[in-house]
Amino acid sequence: MKIINKNTTRALFTSALVLLLAACNGESTVPADSVASVTFSSQAEEGATAFASNCAACHGASLEGTTLGPLLSGNSFLQRWGTQTPALLLNNIQANMPPGGNDGISDEDYTNIVAHMLSFNGVDTITEALTASTNFEIADNISQVVARRSRPEPEPPQGITVAGTVEKFTPITDAMLENPDPADWPMHRRNYYGHSYSPLSQINTDNVKGMTLAWVWNMYEGDSEPAPLVYGGIMYLINPGNVIQALDAATGELIWENWAGPANRQDMRNIAIYNDKIIQATTDARLIALDARTGEQIWETEVADASKGFSNSSGPIVADGKVILGLAGCARYIPEDCYISAHDANTGELEWRFNTIAKANEPGGDTWGELPDLFRAGGETWITGSYDPDLKLTYWGTAQQKPWVPVSRHLTIDDVGLFTNSTVAVSTDTGELDWFFQHVPAEALDLDEVFERILVNRGDDKLVFSLGKYGILWKNDRVSGEFQDYKETVFQNAFTDIDDKTGLVTYREDIQNAKLNEWTSACPSSAGGKDWHSMTYHPPTGTMIAPLSQTCLENAAREVALVQGGGGLAASRKFFEMPGTDGNLGKIGAYNVDTMEEVWSHQQRASFHTGTMSTGGNLVFVGDLDRRFKAFDVTTGEIVWETRLGTSVQGHPVSFAVDGKQYIAVTAALGGTSPRAVPGVILTEIKYPRSGNAVYVFALPD
Amino acid sequence: MKLGHKTFSKLVTSIACTLTLVFSVNAVAQSGTFRARLSPMPTTPQTVTTITGEGEVILTLEGNTLKVTGDFVGMNSAATMAHVHNGPPAQPGPVVHQLEVTKMTGGEISAVLELTDEQVMALHNNELYIQVHSETNPPGELRGWVFARN
Ligand code: HEC
Repeated sequence: MKIINKNTTRALFTSALVLLLAACNGESTVPADSVASVTFSSQAEEGATAFASNCAACHGASLEGTTLGPLLSGNSFLQRWGTQTPALLLNNIQANMPPGGNDGISDEDYTNIVAHMLSFNGVDTITEALTASTNFEIADNISQVVARRSRPEPEPPQGITVAGTVEKFTPITDAMLENPDPADWPMHRRNYYGHSYSPLSQINTDNVKGMTLAWVWNMYEGDSEPAPLVYGGIMYLINPGNVIQALDAATGELIWENWAGPANRQDMRNIAIYNDKIIQATTDARLIALDARTGEQIWETEVADASKGFSNSSGPIVADGKVILGLAGCARYIPEDCYISAHDANTGELEWRFNTIAKANEPGGDTWGELPDLFRAGGETWITGSYDPDLKLTYWGTAQQKPWVPVSRHLTIDDVGLFTNSTVAVSTDTGELDWFFQHVPAEALDLDEVFERILVNRGDDKLVFSLGKYGILWKNDRVSGEFQDYKETVFQNAFTDIDDKTGLVTYREDIQNAKLNEWTSACPSSAGGKDWHSMTYHPPTGTMIAPLSQTCLENAAREVALVQGGGGLAASRKFFEMPGTDGNLGKIGAYNVDTMEEVWSHQQRASFHTGTMSTGGNLVFVGDLDRRFKAFDVTTGEIVWETRLGTSVQGHPVSFAVDGKQYIAVTAALGGTSPRAVPGVILTEIKYPRSGNAVYVFALPD
Repeated sequence: MKLGHKTFSKLVTSIACTLTLVFSVNAVAQSGTFRARLSPMPTTPQTVTTITGEGEVILTLEGNTLKVTGDFVGMNSAATMAHVHNGPPAQPGPVVHQLEVTKMTGGEISAVLELTDEQVMALHNNELYIQVHSETNPPGELRGWVFARN
């Protein structure tokens, strides 16, 4: 059955009428889109209504942004979309927005919404109605912007905005990164193995209840999920909009600040330090080295072309003298695909690239059916990997194929699409693939396996652990890649079988065969059993402690045409509480890495929005949507301390010491994509301020 | 499908359970208490304000007789119908029983039902759920899977 909705019917009727009228006038060749009655402003007017009911809940009635979605107006909009065309914007929105379900929004509605967004942002020099192929440059049609170009204007801050010098700075060496000083947190997950574990034990299960706030520092507003770096008593803090600050880690005193641009409100999860440099990826896919002492820029290079949609949301790891980082924004049908790249730490020069999507003539290239290279998309590496200095291998997770559902990508469940949704072990010397293990082949529900890889040694076993959106904790041998074991950490009903010997998963039959516009229901949802919030490995007890989330989704694939520049994600979605959880979205699960048994778990209504961080004091820290920051006893799972912050606690807690005194730091933050948007529609009773990004630092009283 | 040994042993266990269950259903009266937490049906951001409410339903089984009592509050429009459906967790399925429901935005749910042996089995396997429909959300406004109460 073909459903023609009201709007389509109306559009068909209107164009039929116009053709008829045109024929009466004796003009038989008037194209339908030159209809006199539909103008840019009439579209914008209709679009305002459509925006209000479909987009405003997340982007604000005045496009000002909310905690659920970024602002779509002002400078931020201009920077992102000013040099693009209405057709590209339409394409982007149609493919991706709203993130949860859009049945009932017609093509005409979408076009009208774009007209409204443009009009709201000051587009005023056009009258002709927009079509799917309108290709003027947006900023060229905003008379205010055009006028501004001819006169000087205050630019957003750029470069050093606060000058200062870190005294007594000792350059950090490879050896120091391999074996960090217990006082430091010198990379995103503290060590190369990705443990998010600090050996410091001054604050412990006995005395943590006396812990109080030492200092707090407000950060710039925007989407934020940061992990601060701490080295030599200095905290290097990445703020939204690509701003880095150096703060005295004991007092919270600002030393220097640098704006690398673009000055948007976008998110960057982590930065790196190497030698005397702070190394940062930017949201527009550049890589920059700053002098760690002063914040002055030393070198800059392009990772990928941001005008083609490429971006970074996570920063690099520096391994073996190379700056290694991933790439995001790879859902579009263009010749370029995603890669992991390595740059010389002293110059920024490119050393190698590893492409995550196999082209037809390459190894693994026959796993994409007959799909031409142009239409092979996905495989983002949007979470930073880890490193084994002995094996000289860097371990990364890759995201799934795009669009989300096999039928949308013109493939079947047998077209597994290498090297998506895998662990890849890549040589740091050459960038060559050493081995891969595909956790969920031909992924079909937007549940990727891209997150952190945690390296663990148990006796002679060298292992790598990962936990993706399906909530399955995977144990693989990290020398060979061989599957060892798995554990389901939350309820999942996507797979009917997980092979004990090989780890091969079998999807439920209705998921395997999902057709366009048919609803399939599955757990967990795309907010993930686990998402970007990294888990911690606690070496003294051999426990992996993971922040988990319990929601489910209904998913319906949409059609995606195979056209250059198209692509996207293409599914409508609905979210709901996971059955059997009693409405508890948040779960912390602790797993013995030898037996893979659950040692303890804690469940609560509010979802968790930070990574977990464990310490030598036998504590594990985590924060939630309801503004609570909590410490658990690693052994028992008992809550031994908690406090309440200004807004939702989000990011990655860290611990460090200055002059022998231990501190615990965590950020309160907003944004955070689906792990916030999904609970946002379910946990409607939890209220938190829509501003308040900050870093909070705690310690025992003197 | 190749069976891993864990899956196989799961299968053996579930066959064993099934047999036990079948025999016990026939031999002794089954009893037990179950609960469904009612929460808004699959929601999108657009429907957060139009699909609302919550509730709780307690179900007690004596033999094949299932007594259902529950309440709900805060729906966006008046309830029209409530049903027991058959479907494994998070997978919608067909209606198997009607329930009495207060035709308002809040109220009570009740019924005394005779379950078939298959339905008793489904109950023990978490394969029953309750759904409340409303005037403005005919496909359903509240939903909750039934689980054994512990
Ligand atoms: C559930 C909340 C939600 C709804 C509803 C929603 N969006 Fe979004 N939107 C987001 C989030 C979150 C992002 C950020 C995307 C990301 O980072 O993955 C976003 C991103 C965008 C972007 C890209 C912004 C940029 O600067 O790159 C556009 C454009 C957009 N949305 C338009 C829309 C339109 C138009 C609608 C209505 C049809 C809509 N959105 C509905 C949450 C939402």
